[in-house]
Amino acid sequence: MGTTQLLFWFLSILAILGAILVVTSKNPVHSVLWLIVVFVAISGHYILLDAQFLAIVNLIVYAGAIMVLFLFVFMLMNLNADTEPQKNRWLKIAGVVTGGALLLVLVAALKKADLKAQMAEMGKGDIGLIHNLGLVLFKDYVVPFEISSVLFLSAMVGVVVIGKKAEEDKTTLGSQKYGG
Amino acid sequence: MNAILLSAVWGIVMMFSGIFTTSKTAIRNVAVVGLVLLVLGNYADMIGYHLMTVNVHKMLYFDTFGLLGNLIAFGSTLLYVLLSGRDMEKVGHHLAEYFALIFFVLCGVAIVTTFNTLLMLFLGIEIISIPLYILTGADKRNLKSNEASLKYFLMGAFSTGLMLLGIAFLYGATQTGTFFIDDLWSGKTAVTPLFMAGLLLLLVSMAFKVSAAPFHFWTPDVYDGAPTVFTSFMATIVKVSIFVGFIRLFDEAFGDSQEKWQVFVAIIAAATLFIGNVTAVFQQSVKRMLAYSSIAQAGFMLLALLALNGVAKEGIILYAAAYSIATIGIFAVLIRMKDYTFEGFNGLARQQPVLAATCTIFLLSLAGIPLTGGFFAKYYMLSSVVATGHYLWLVIFAVLCAAVSVYYYFRVIQAMYFKDGDGATEAEPGLGFKGLLVVLAVIVVVLGVWPQSLLGQLSRLIYTW
Repeated sequence: MGTTQLLFWFLSILAILGAILVVTSKNPVHSVLWLIVVFVAISGHYILLDAQFLAIVNLIVYAGAIMVLFLFVFMLMNLNADTEPQKNRWLKIAGVVTGGALLLVLVAALKKADLKAQMAEMGKGDIGLIHNLGLVLFKDYVVPFEISSVLFLSAMVGVVVIGKKAEEDKTTLGSQKYGG
Repeated sequence: MNAILLSAVWGIVMMFSGIFTTSKTAIRNVAVVGLVLLVLGNYADMIGYHLMTVNVHKMLYFDTFGLLGNLIAFGSTLLYVLLSGRDMEKVGHHLAEYFALIFFVLCGVAIVTTFNTLLMLFLGIEIISIPLYILTGADKRNLKSNEASLKYFLMGAFSTGLMLLGIAFLYGATQTGTFFIDDLWSGKTAVTPLFMAGLLLLLVSMAFKVSAAPFHFWTPDVYDGAPTVFTSFMATIVKVSIFVGFIRLFDEAFGDSQEKWQVFVAIIAAATLFIGNVTAVFQQSVKRMLAYSSIAQAGFMLLALLALNGVAKEGIILYAAAYSIATIGIFAVLIRMKDYTFEGFNGLARQQPVLAATCTIFLLSLAGIPLTGGFFAKYYMLSSVVATGHYLWLVIFAVLCAAVSVYYYFRVIQAMYFKDGDGATEAEPGLGFKGLLVVLAVIVVVLGVWPQSLLGQLSRLIYTW
C-alpha cells in the first residue's frame, strides 16, 4: 500500500466518521465542529486528485466562511441540546427506512459500476493549477461561467428585497410614536 | 441567445429603474417594454436573426421546440404583467426589484428550454429557483409567506442536492466523462446501474420542480402562502417552462433507454393525477384548490414525458399555452377578490358579469370542456400516449381524473352564477383589466375552436427541426 492509498483510506474514514458525528452529536456546536473535520478531509481528497486550487477554495469558503456563519447563527439563536425539538418516533423510523432504501440503491449501483477506466488524473500534478483551471474556465466553460453571474446577481437582489427595511415602516412607526 | 441576453440585461435595467424613478407606473411600463422586447427578440431568434454571435461551445442548442417554449413563457408573462402588474405594488415596496427577479427567472427559463449540457440545466434550474424563493417570501410581514418561503427554500435546496448527485452519477457512467446530454448514451448498449441511479435521481429532482406526486408536498403550502400575484407566476410560466426542459432532457439524453424508465414516469403521472384531483375536491379556499389543480395539470403534462413522440411535443406546447393563459386569468380575478374561499365567489355574476363570464371560460378550459383550448391540449396528451401503444390503463385513468376535476372547477362556476351573495371585489376593476380578460378568454376559445391553425404551424415547425 503506497502513501497515496494510505492517505486515501485515512481521509475517507475521517470524512465518514466526521459525517456520522455531525448527525449524532446532541450539541449543535459540536456538529459544526465535526463538519469542519469533514470539509478538511474532503479538501485532502481534492489534493490527492491534483485539484489544489479546489482544495484551498473549499477550505477557505466552506471550512472558513460558511462555518463561521453557522456558529454565528447558533450563538444568535442560542441553540443548545435542550432546545432541540423532540421528533416523533414513527417519523424517525420512516426516515431510517427511506434513507436505508436510498443507501441500498446507491450501494448496489456503485458496486456494479464499471469504473475500470481511470477517471481521475492522479500524480500528474498540473491539471488543477490555477493557470490551467483559468484557461479551461475562460475558454471551454465561459458561457456557464458568465451565466452564473445572473444567478449571483439574483441572489444579491434577493438579499436586498428580504433584508432591507421598508421605508414605509419607519414612517408608520414614527407616526404611531408621535401621532399617538 | 437573444432571449438570455435580453432578459439578463433587462433585469439589470429594472434594478436601475428603481433608483431613477419612484413612479410605480413608470417602473411597470419599463417592465412591459422589456417583455415586448423579449418576445420580439425570441421571435427574431426563431427566424434566424441574432443580436450577437456567441460561441456557446455547444452548451446551448436553440431548436424550434425550445424557442416555442420560450415564446409561450414570454408571451404569457407579458399578459400576466399587463393583467396583474398593478397588484404587485400591494405586496411590498420593492416593485423594481420584483420585476428584476422576474426577468432573472425568465433568463433561467430561456436556459432551461435550450440547454444542451447538464451543467446548463443545473444553472438554469437554479436561476429559476432562487428568485422564486425570494418572491415567495416577498410579503415580509405575513407569517404564512415567510413560512412558505423557508419551506420552499429548504426543500428546493434538498432537491437541488439530489439533482447534483444524479448529474455526478451520469458523469461517472459515461466512458469519457461528459455533461453533454446527447453523449450520455453514446457507446452504450445496456443500462448500467450507475446510469440508472443517475437517471432516477434526475427524474426525482425534476419531478420535484414541476410538483409531481409524491414530490408535491411543498406545493400547496408554498402556493397558498406566497403572495397571490407570484403564485400565479410560479404555477404557470415557471412550471410549463420546466416541463419543456424536462421533456428536452429525457428526449435527448434518455430517449434511447425509454422502455427502462417509462414505467416510473407512468407511476408518477398516475399518482400525480390521482392525488392532485382528489385532494382538490376537499379544498375550501379557491387559491389552495388552484394549487392542487396545478398538481393535477402537471399530471397531464407528464403524459407527454411518458410518450415522447411528435404528438407529445406538439401537445406540450399547446398545453403550455392553454394552461398558462387560463390559469393566469383565474388568478388575476382571484387577486381582486376580498374572500378567497368558494363562498367569496357567491353571486359574482351579478356584481361583475364580465369577470364571471371570462372566469367561467378559463375554468371550462382547465376542466377540458370542448371548444376551449384545454380540451385539445388534453386530447393531444392522451392521444400521444395512445400512439405509444402501451399504457392504455393510464389513458383511462387520466380521463376519469379529468372527470373528477370537473367537480371542483364547476363549484366555482356554480358559486358565481347560482348562489346569492355579494361576490365582493376589493376595488371596481378598470376597463383595461376587463378588456384584457376578454382578450385572454378569446385566445382560449380560439385555441379550442381552430386548433388546426396553430397546431398545423406547430407540427410544421417541430417536424422540420
